[in-house]
Amino acid sequence: MTVKSKRTITSMLVSTILLIAYIAFALKKYSSGQESLKTWAITILIFIGITVVAQIIIQILYHIVFAIGIAVKERECNEKNIDRTISSSMVEDEMDKLISLKSTNISFIFAGIGFLAYLVLLAFGGPAVLALHILFGSFLTGVIAAGGVSVYFYERGIQNG
Amino acid sequence: MGKKLIITNNIRKLRFNMNEMTQLELAEKAGVSRQTIVALEAGKYSPSLELAFRIADAFSVPIGDVFINERKEKYYDK
Repeated sequence: MTVKSKRTITSMLVSTILLIAYIAFALKKYSSGQESLKTWAITILIFIGITVVAQIIIQILYHIVFAIGIAVKERECNEKNIDRTISSSMVEDEMDKLISLKSTNISFIFAGIGFLAYLVLLAFGGPAVLALHILFGSFLTGVIAAGGVSVYFYERGIQNG
Repeated sequence: MGKKLIITNNIRKLRFNMNEMTQLELAEKAGVSRQTIVALEAGKYSPSLELAFRIADAFSVPIGDVFINERKEKYYDK
């Protein structure tokens, strides 16, 4: 498995864990009767902030673990060679951009479906809080699905055109 | 729509001929990650024209010596 696949899987795992944690939190909060749209908007904003911070921390930790892994594996190499290996693995090149393009398309599909569901629910007089969560859930699912698509292309390969 | 091209490459062979150039060295010369070179050698990725030229430049050979259109080769063999 490539370094980039592992990095994407790590990121996906963090997103999934946070999503599950949010669902558990939201269900508890919803059953306690707090249904104000403003309260939910604040909750979601806080959750997004936590997700961003968690992703940054995980990526930093991943880089440290990766660097240690390279150093252990290539004991005979000097520091310069280890730096070269790490920087070469982290370069974002045309293959990454192509994979990123394809995976972003998938996340847009999820977000689009979520937005449609959001509009339909509101149009038929459904609860606004539920509609908000459908929209939010579709974005998050899209992000996780995009990660899955990235890993698929990194492992199976991708062709231009 | 035209038939899908089957493009193979001689990167592994050319690296061997270039005094066992490592994938890392080639990646640095071509300006891509080592994973991309691994994917290219495994036939999992077909590069853009620009990258194909950069790889050929790294070996100082014409692009046709690095990448081969298998269908065309078969056509000429007939």
